[in-house]
Amino acid sequence: MKFRYAMVCSSNQNRSMEAHSLFKREGFDVSSYGTGQHVKLPGPSLREPNVYDFGTPYKQMFDDLRRKDPDLYKRNGILPMLKRNLAVKSAPQRWQDNAADGSFDVVLTFEEKVFDMVLEDLHNRNHVPMKAVLVINLEVKDNHEEAAVGAKLALLLCQELEATEGWEESIDDIITNFERQHRRKLLYSVSYY
Amino acid sequence: MVGMMGAASRDKISSLIKSAKFDSTVPSKLENLRLLSGELSNADSVLLSEFLSHLLDLLSDRFGPVRKFTAEMIGDIGLRCTEYIPEIVPVLIPVLKDDTPAVARQAIRCGMEIFRSILFKVALQGLYSNGLDTSLESSWSWMLKFRDEIYSLAFQPGSDGRRLLALKFMETVVLLYTPDPNVSSDPPADQNSQVNIKEFNISWLRGGHPVLNVGDLSIEASQSLGLLLDQLRFPTIKSHNNLMIILLINSLSAIASKRPAFYGRILPVLLGLDPSSSSGKGVHHALKSAFLTCLSCTHPGAAPWRDRLIGALRELNAVGVAERAATDLTLQNNGSLERKNESLISQDEEPTRKALDDSHNNASRKRMGVQENTDILEDKMSVKRVRSVPVASEGSTNELRSDDDIDPSGGSGTCKMEVDNGPVQQLVAMFGALVAQGEIAVTSLEILISSISADLLAEVVMSNMRNLPSNCPQTEGDEEQFLGKGSCPGLKGDNSEFDNLSSLLTNILSQSSVLPQKDTGVDSLPSAANELELRGTLDNTDVPGLSHVSEEAPVPTSLPASSGEHVPSVMENGGSGALSDVIDVGNIESEIPGLDFPFCSDELVITSLGSTELPDASQEQVSSLGRSSLELLPSVSTDRSEELSPRGTVTDLSSFNSSSATSAGLSTQLLLPKISAPVISLTDDQRDNLQKLILEHITDTYKQIANSGGSQVCLSILAYLGVKFSFDLEPWKLLQTHILSDYVNHEGHELTLRVLYRLYGEAEEDNDFVSSTTAKSVYEMFLLIVAEMLRDTFPWPDKSLNRLLVEVPYLPDAVFKLLEDMCSPGGSNKDKNSSERVRQGLSIVWSLILLRPPIRDACLRIALKSAIHPLEEVRDKALRLVVNKLYPLPSMSRQIEAFAQEMLVSAANSNPATESNDADGANAEFKDSDVGKPSNELSAIGASSKELSSATDQLAVSESISSSLLAEGQRFMALYFALCTKNHSLFRQIFVIYESTSNAVKQGVLHHIPKLVRAIGPSPELLGILSDPPTGSEELLMQVLRTLTDGTTPSPELLSTIRKLYDTKVKDVEILILILPFLPKEEVLAIFPRLVNSPSEKFQLALSHVLQVSSNSNLAITPAEALIAIHGIDPERDGIPLKKVTDACNICFGQRQIFTQQVLAKVLNQLVEQIPLPLLFMRTVLQAIGAFPSLVDFIMEILSRLVQKQIWKYPKLWVGFIKCALLTKPESFGVLLQLPPAQLENALNRTPALRDPLIAHASQPNIRSSLPRSVLVVLGIASDSQNSGPTKPTHVETGEMGKSEHTQSSHAYSGDTSKSDKEVVTDKSKESPDAT
Repeated sequence: MKFRYAMVCSSNQNRSMEAHSLFKREGFDVSSYGTGQHVKLPGPSLREPNVYDFGTPYKQMFDDLRRKDPDLYKRNGILPMLKRNLAVKSAPQRWQDNAADGSFDVVLTFEEKVFDMVLEDLHNRNHVPMKAVLVINLEVKDNHEEAAVGAKLALLLCQELEATEGWEESIDDIITNFERQHRRKLLYSVSYY
Repeated sequence: MVGMMGAASRDKISSLIKSAKFDSTVPSKLENLRLLSGELSNADSVLLSEFLSHLLDLLSDRFGPVRKFTAEMIGDIGLRCTEYIPEIVPVLIPVLKDDTPAVARQAIRCGMEIFRSILFKVALQGLYSNGLDTSLESSWSWMLKFRDEIYSLAFQPGSDGRRLLALKFMETVVLLYTPDPNVSSDPPADQNSQVNIKEFNISWLRGGHPVLNVGDLSIEASQSLGLLLDQLRFPTIKSHNNLMIILLINSLSAIASKRPAFYGRILPVLLGLDPSSSSGKGVHHALKSAFLTCLSCTHPGAAPWRDRLIGALRELNAVGVAERAATDLTLQNNGSLERKNESLISQDEEPTRKALDDSHNNASRKRMGVQENTDILEDKMSVKRVRSVPVASEGSTNELRSDDDIDPSGGSGTCKMEVDNGPVQQLVAMFGALVAQGEIAVTSLEILISSISADLLAEVVMSNMRNLPSNCPQTEGDEEQFLGKGSCPGLKGDNSEFDNLSSLLTNILSQSSVLPQKDTGVDSLPSAANELELRGTLDNTDVPGLSHVSEEAPVPTSLPASSGEHVPSVMENGGSGALSDVIDVGNIESEIPGLDFPFCSDELVITSLGSTELPDASQEQVSSLGRSSLELLPSVSTDRSEELSPRGTVTDLSSFNSSSATSAGLSTQLLLPKISAPVISLTDDQRDNLQKLILEHITDTYKQIANSGGSQVCLSILAYLGVKFSFDLEPWKLLQTHILSDYVNHEGHELTLRVLYRLYGEAEEDNDFVSSTTAKSVYEMFLLIVAEMLRDTFPWPDKSLNRLLVEVPYLPDAVFKLLEDMCSPGGSNKDKNSSERVRQGLSIVWSLILLRPPIRDACLRIALKSAIHPLEEVRDKALRLVVNKLYPLPSMSRQIEAFAQEMLVSAANSNPATESNDADGANAEFKDSDVGKPSNELSAIGASSKELSSATDQLAVSESISSSLLAEGQRFMALYFALCTKNHSLFRQIFVIYESTSNAVKQGVLHHIPKLVRAIGPSPELLGILSDPPTGSEELLMQVLRTLTDGTTPSPELLSTIRKLYDTKVKDVEILILILPFLPKEEVLAIFPRLVNSPSEKFQLALSHVLQVSSNSNLAITPAEALIAIHGIDPERDGIPLKKVTDACNICFGQRQIFTQQVLAKVLNQLVEQIPLPLLFMRTVLQAIGAFPSLVDFIMEILSRLVQKQIWKYPKLWVGFIKCALLTKPESFGVLLQLPPAQLENALNRTPALRDPLIAHASQPNIRSSLPRSVLVVLGIASDSQNSGPTKPTHVETGEMGKSEHTQSSHAYSGDTSKSDKEVVTDKSKESPDAT
């Protein structure tokens, strides 16, 4: 695995973690982040979501929700998700706050808004542009089922990237092929670390 | 100390370099280099200079990673010690063309950093001294060379990442060479200060620099920029791939946003790009974000481009992006711009007001003014408002804006608004034209009104609301009435309402048309409002329609002209770049004393379009009420009004003052005392509560209407409102209660569907995780609760639940579970409804399968599960569905078959022990309760079909033990059996598994098969299977054949199949027995020996079969023929034990009703004619005489015929003859006397008991006279010694000869004879009482 990957969604819970989990299993060098202000999880109603700060361990959320209403959170898949997450890493991380994690070669986002935020953040980072980073957006709906599908697609895409000499030459072809093959639209851009 | 350290590290470094050079593997080399770089970072310049050349050598290492690492190290050195640059750069330049892209990239990276650092140094040094030191100067010149090299890379074809960085390098250089407007142009005081990239500004050098000339640098930057731009121009752009284009766009937009001075050069190129021509969406997006970036730039130089950027964004992605652009702008600019605008406005207020009169002639200036205002608006409005009020009319925008410059409702909705209102305006014009005709046009008006849709009409009315002279005494009432109705358009959509509206419309239009003449100037408010309304109308028109409308509507032209322009200006803002003095629309402000009216009309339009959120509805309500100055006004509760209200009031007041001052200039506009809206800010909670109360209230009211026979329309509206209700207020809770309270009358179906679709939409929308998950969860609960309610309250055959489940957006797992429970009621659920429920469940499953193909599998699983339910009642229902309805569907048949087969096999393989273990609670219970039923059935069968196979009998015996197992087996096999009736070829499988099944299962199969076989009939498939049955299935085969032949005439095919079967596979004659009645006589006779040879029961059966139809069919053989056939059997020839034959005879004699006296007589008559005589002939005779003593005369006749046939020549028969004679004495005496003397003597010798009675008989004179002398001699009545001697031995010999001929069978025969004799005797003794 020659590249270093980052999976980014908004809360670093569902889509990015699904992908993180999968990539990790496949032996990729991967990290995951969220770009939102907080980590928001569904609550008993729309008006009462469970809001956590980035950095709150998944385990803590898990215990918290299990205490509150085990049935609800099991039914809507939150507890299983958290359980999966805490096996991947300890806590959700915010993309903007973790610039110190160093440079990635490929950043995959799962929502256009996130894509834009990542690009903007990269653009605003206060360092000398040294290294190109490929940022790709694969639009994935934020629910459990789609996240699973999205993660698999992301893996396929990255395997394609890995298979090339350098993505710089072949990115257009890879993207075009991927779009044709999976009927998904991708966005990509290049930024610099 | 230093020296020592230097020495130590020198050694170390040299050894490291050496090993790095000569190591053979990449990792060890790299390791050495890593150590080396650690050492070098501490090394002083002396050391560095010493080793630099060695280090540079490493750049030609054959390993890419080594070269890359070396380049990195060298870069670091160059950065730290600029004096080495003249040495480093010449080496680095070839590295740029390294074969390994990574190495080349590293070289560019180094170059970039060194270049910048040198530039900073050069700049700073030059600033504070007159010249540069030579080393720096040469470094700089080398860097310039290096820069040129990198530049050349940027435009070389082929991209391996070098290009990416080279372009970035160019971008960096352009930025470095041009003044940064955001950074102080004053150079740092200290020459030695470390310069950060963000702090450097080339304009420091403006004062003069020995080397760097700001002007030259600018020119150079400009040239570079030109090169970059050229890349995006046609035709060069064609040769680039998407990546390049994206990169260029990114770079250029970065330059543009950082150096707004270049906007004029960069943006035309970017705007000129045709996003549609490039294939990648990436380009599209890059362009979009480039525009957004440029748009967000706050530099004044960027301002003139804003309109074009917004326009381009719109083009790129319709309104959404533009809105986002606006909102992004809002977010980004909020702070600074707001302040700026406020001050701007307050400054401009006065002059612009004066400029009002000439303003309408100056389009461009006006545009700018509006533009500015639009920006302000955009700054102010929140994202949510923009999106939730897409139809917020431009009119309101203008009015509100003019009122206090804090309009929340946003100009960005304009685009949509124009589209929406096009037809409306045309209609208005049409109405206007009609009204102008006066009375004559009334009918046409009515026709027109009745022919357009209610919605459209409402819109027409609403848009004309602006034309209302609001305060005219005579119209006041009308208007109020109108408003009242307008608040719920369509609610009472009957004709009378339309009539009302039409008359209103007429009124309104006519009034507004006469208004200009009515220029009284006394009543200032109406006219002011009127004007506003007119303008509102015009604002809603699209640009082409503008002139048209203004022609149509007789209104003061100046204002419409000016305000009408606002719309296009926002939209198109023609790009006339000059940032001219801003004409504040505050001018209009003065004419708007009453905020209420525009508000009213706009909101009404919004409501009538029905696309507003509830907040708007409430607001509308409020504003209409507000007219009568009700306290409810506080419920104008949106963000907008909250933000608006306090200031709104203030500005209203101020504008009141100011406009009164200027009102002289505006003849028609006088001011009313402002009806200041008592606006109160509500907290979120209060607002929500209010909204909830409103919905609740509406719900309750509708309940009452419904009770009093209210119309369906009310309910539709309720559903609609509930759905439109802000999502996070959870309106469904209320609706759920409402629905559950009375499903039928409350249009529960409709409401539920609406709510569910809303929830579904909410869940499926590209929402964040929280809301989609919540919505999904709510959806499931809602549907489940309603479904459960329906199940419990509306049992079969009500179709409500059915309908609901068919129509909802999707079915969650919980619903499948519910269905499953319905179709397969659990054991504990003994409630009496369950059977109905099963029906209901299955009918739903059936509908779902028909109407929702995607979930077929799940539904099928439910049905199949039900089809193996332990309760027969349930199972049968499910079977009917599965077999009759589902199985014929091609898409499902395979699955059903597979499942049935699996079940069949599982039933076959289950052995009793595990089965009972497996049986769950339900089964156990079921077994207990239902044991009685099957066993009864079984015993009944056992009783009724005695002749059925032993298997059945056995079954009946063991029924009590196996009935539960049987039921269990049945449970799993029923489906398969049922399928067999549809697809006969499946039948084979039953045969195949039969052998391996347990006894219980076998019994189950045997029990079931008759029903099945009867259902199928002798189809070709079945016959095919029958003709080649798997081994081990004979029992089953027989059962099948038995069923097939039972009570019906088998088809020729069946007969031939069975015959073939008999000939090839199954040698058991039993299968032939089944069809005996249907076989031709010859055939039956041909197989008769084999029948005789079968066990006596079977023979008996066969016999009955054979004779069964004989009464009515001439085909079949008669009893006589049968008996003759038996006699025709030759034990030796046919290989049948004689015993079997005699048994067969016995059986025949056992059936006296069939084998009557006549039959026997006939048989004997025929037999006696046969030559040779049948072996058992005499035995039969004896039996006949035993059975029917009255036959004695006939027998005598036979005997005498036997005498003629010289019966003594058949020794065995001869014995029988004599026995018969003995038995039938005295009648037999006559026959005996017919014997030749020798035979007579023989007979008498054999049976001495005959002699005396015979002599006595013969001695009678009349007889004696008829007897020949020789006989008399034998009898001893006359003596003839001569003759008597030789006769005896002859007979003895004959007898012995006969014996020797039949030696083989003699023993058996003799035994038999003796035995049969005994029997005959017994028979005789039995019969004798009857006979006598």
